[in-house]
Amino acid sequence: MRWLLAGLFFALAVVLAIGTAGIRADNVRTRRHIERDYRRVADQVVELRRLAMERLAATSPQRLAAMHWQWLRQAAARYQERLQ
Amino acid sequence: MKAGERRRLRFAFGALGAVPVFLCGWLGWLQVVQGGELVRKDGRALPLVAATADRQVWRSEKYPAPRGTIVDRNGVTLATDCEAYEVRAHVAVPRDLRKDVVAFRGWLATLVDRMALALVADPEQTGRRERHARHRERLAGILARAFRVGELPATGKFPFRPRAADFLVATGIDRLAVADALHELDADFRTVRLDFIRSFRRVYLERELTHGIVGHTDTIWVEDEHGGAGYRTFGVCGLEALRALTPGIGGRRRIRQDGRRRAYFVEPAAGMVPPTRLHTTLDLELQRVAVRELAAQAESGDARGEHRPRWGALVLVDLDNGDLLAAASWHDKTEDKVPTEKGKAFTPYQSRFEPGSIVKPLVLSYAHQVNALDWRRDRFDCSPNGADYARRIASLGRRRPVQDDHRCGVLDAHGIIVNSSNIGAAMVGLGLSREQWQDYMRAYGFGTSVNLNLPHEAVPGHHPDSFDPRRPLRSFFANSAISFSFGYELEVTPLQVARAYLRMFRGIEAELRLVRGVEVAGEWHRVPPRQGTGLRYRPEVVEAVRAAMADVVDNSEHATGRHLWEQFHKQGIDLHGLVGGKTGTAASRVGIGNGRLKHVRNASFVGFVPAEDPRWLAVCVLQKDGRARFYGGSYAAPPAVKLLLECQRLAERRQLRQEPRSGSGGQTRIGSTVPKASQALPRTPGFSGWLSPVGAGAARDTR
Repeated sequence: MRWLLAGLFFALAVVLAIGTAGIRADNVRTRRHIERDYRRVADQVVELRRLAMERLAATSPQRLAAMHWQWLRQAAARYQERLQ
Repeated sequence: MKAGERRRLRFAFGALGAVPVFLCGWLGWLQVVQGGELVRKDGRALPLVAATADRQVWRSEKYPAPRGTIVDRNGVTLATDCEAYEVRAHVAVPRDLRKDVVAFRGWLATLVDRMALALVADPEQTGRRERHARHRERLAGILARAFRVGELPATGKFPFRPRAADFLVATGIDRLAVADALHELDADFRTVRLDFIRSFRRVYLERELTHGIVGHTDTIWVEDEHGGAGYRTFGVCGLEALRALTPGIGGRRRIRQDGRRRAYFVEPAAGMVPPTRLHTTLDLELQRVAVRELAAQAESGDARGEHRPRWGALVLVDLDNGDLLAAASWHDKTEDKVPTEKGKAFTPYQSRFEPGSIVKPLVLSYAHQVNALDWRRDRFDCSPNGADYARRIASLGRRRPVQDDHRCGVLDAHGIIVNSSNIGAAMVGLGLSREQWQDYMRAYGFGTSVNLNLPHEAVPGHHPDSFDPRRPLRSFFANSAISFSFGYELEVTPLQVARAYLRMFRGIEAELRLVRGVEVAGEWHRVPPRQGTGLRYRPEVVEAVRAAMADVVDNSEHATGRHLWEQFHKQGIDLHGLVGGKTGTAASRVGIGNGRLKHVRNASFVGFVPAEDPRWLAVCVLQKDGRARFYGGSYAAPPAVKLLLECQRLAERRQLRQEPRSGSGGQTRIGSTVPKASQALPRTPGFSGWLSPVGAGAARDTR
C-alpha cells in the first residue's frame, strides 16, 4: 500500500511537471503568435495611415475639380461618339 | 509481490530517482565547474550566471514620438507624421555555404534579388522596374563590400572573418505589401534577420501652397553631452521650427526573445502620447487664392515679353484678432539668383523693401493722433513752387527736391492720402519732432520682430544713423523726416506693414497671430490674440484715415487707385465703397553683394474690406529690377483686392452654411474667435496716453 501511494504521488508529480511544461510551452507558442499578430496589426496601421494621407492629398478641392473636369470631358466624348 | 516484481519496481523507481540527481549534477556542472565569465569585444566581462541569461531574454523596442500635426484654422492638415519602418538587416553566411564560395555567391545574388524585389512588392508603386534595378545595385554593392566578394577565391572555402554583416536595407517603409514581403524573406532565409525599427515620415499636404510658412525639417547627426550620438530631426524654418513641435521621449515596449532573437509578446507599447496638434490661423482656401493670384500677377507680363519681378508677397490678416489668414510668397525661378538662400526665402517675413507711399496713412494718422495735424482745418499747398514748399521744405536745403507724380494743388490731409502727395506728406512729417518720429517707429513696430517666433526673420527698420543724437536737427528734418514721410530711409517686411496697419486700426500693442493654440496630450492650450490691448487711436483718427483710404480706390482724377477701379469696373465691380486701400511705388537700390547696388522698384498695396468697417487687411508687394514703370495701383493692388473680395465671399458663404470650425480638443465652434471685452488683458502700465499733444523730449510718454 505504501509503495502504491508513493508511486501514485510520483506519477502525479510527473503528470504535474509534464502538464506545467506543456502549458508553459503553449504559453510561449501563444506569445509568439500574439507577437506576430501584434506586428501584423502594426503594419496594417502603418498602411492605413499611408492610405489615409494619400486619399486626403488626392481630395483637395483643386484635384477634385480636375477629376470632375476630366470626368465631364470623358462623358462629353462618349456622348459625341454616340451621336456620330 | 514476487521478488522479481519487487526488483523491477525498485529499478524503475531508482531510474526515476536518478533524474533529479542528474539534473542537480548538471546544474552544479554548469553553475560551478563551468561558471565564470566571457570577455566581450569591448573588453567588458559577461558573467555566466542565471541573471545574465534572464537579462538577455528581455529586449525593448523604442517607439519614437511624432513631431506633431500642423492644421489650418478649419482643421485641415498641413503637415503630419506618417509611421514608417527603417529596416536593418543582419546577414550571416550559412554554415553549409562556408565550404563553398561558388554556392555562397549564388546565395548572395538570390538574397540581393529577393530583397530588391521585396522593396518593390507593392503593385501600386510606380516605376517598379527602375526602382528594383536601383535597389539591387545598391544592395549588391553593400553586401559585396561587407563580405569582400571581390577578394574571394574562385572556388573553395569562405576564407574571411567576420562572416556577418549589418546594414540598412531601406527607410520609410510604409507599404503593407513591402513589409509582408520583407517578413517573408526574413522567414525564408535562416541566417538573415531583419529588424523593423519604427520611425516617422513627415508628410506635407498641399505642399505647393504652404511650403514657405509651414517650413521644413532636416535630419542631422548629433552627439550629445552624455557621449551618445544619433540622428535627430530639427525644424529648420517656418512653423516646423516652433518648439511646440519638438518630439518628446516616445514610448517603449518590452518583449522577450529566444536565442535566435525571435520575439515573444509580453505587453503592448507604453508611454505613448498623442501627437501635438498645432492649430494655425491660416485658412487653406484663402492661402490657395493668395498663392494663385500672386503667381498669376507676377507672371502676367510673360506674354508681353516683360521682365518678371524678383519677388512678391501677399498676406491677408483678420483685423478682428490679428490672425494671419494667408501668406503667399513668390520668386522668379527662371533667374540665376534663385538657387541662393535668398531665393528660397519666404518673402512675407524675410524680404525687405522700402515701403514708399503705403506709409502715408500711418504717418498722417500718427500726426493726427498726437495733434500735430488738424485733419479738417490744415491745408497744404502741395504745388512744387508753392509758398508752403519754399517755406518748409526748400528752406531746409535738401539736395533732392521732393516731387509728386502728378501736380497737386492745395490739399487737406484727406487729399494728401487720396492724391498720394509726397510734398503734402513731407509737410505733415515736418510737423513731427525727432522724438515723435522715434515714437512713430516704435508704435508701428518698424525695426522690431513681428513676434511670430519664426526663425530667420528679417527685422529691418530705419537707417542706423537716422536718429543719431549727434546729427544736427536740421539735417534730420532735411533728410530723414521728409524721407520717412513717404516711406524712404526705412525698410520693412510685408508682415511688418500688415502689423503696422493692424495697430492703427486696433491699438498699438496689437500683434499678428499665427498659432491659435496647441493641443498637447489632448489638452488645449490657447494662444490668446493680442487685440484690444494698450492704447488705441481715437475713433475720429481711424475714421478719417479709413475714409481717405476708401476714396483712394475711386474713379476721381487724381486718386491713385483709379487704374484699379477701372480694371474691376470693366468686370462689373465698383470698388469704391467696397474696398479701401493705399498704393505705393518706391524706387530704391538694394545690395547684391560685394558692395554693389542695384536699382529696383517696389510696387505695393495695402487694402481692406469692407471699406466702411475694415475687417480684413491685405498687403501685396512686388519688387522688380530696373527703373521701368511699375506701379502699386496697377501691379500690386489687383491680387490683393481679388484676395480680399474672395475672403469676403468665403466669409459670407460660411456664415450662410454656419460651417463648424474645429477648435479646442475636438470641440467645434461656430463663427470667429473674437475675444470678449471682458477677456481683454489689462493695459500695460507706463503709458500716459495719446489724448494730449506731446512735445519734443517727451518721447517715452507719447504712448
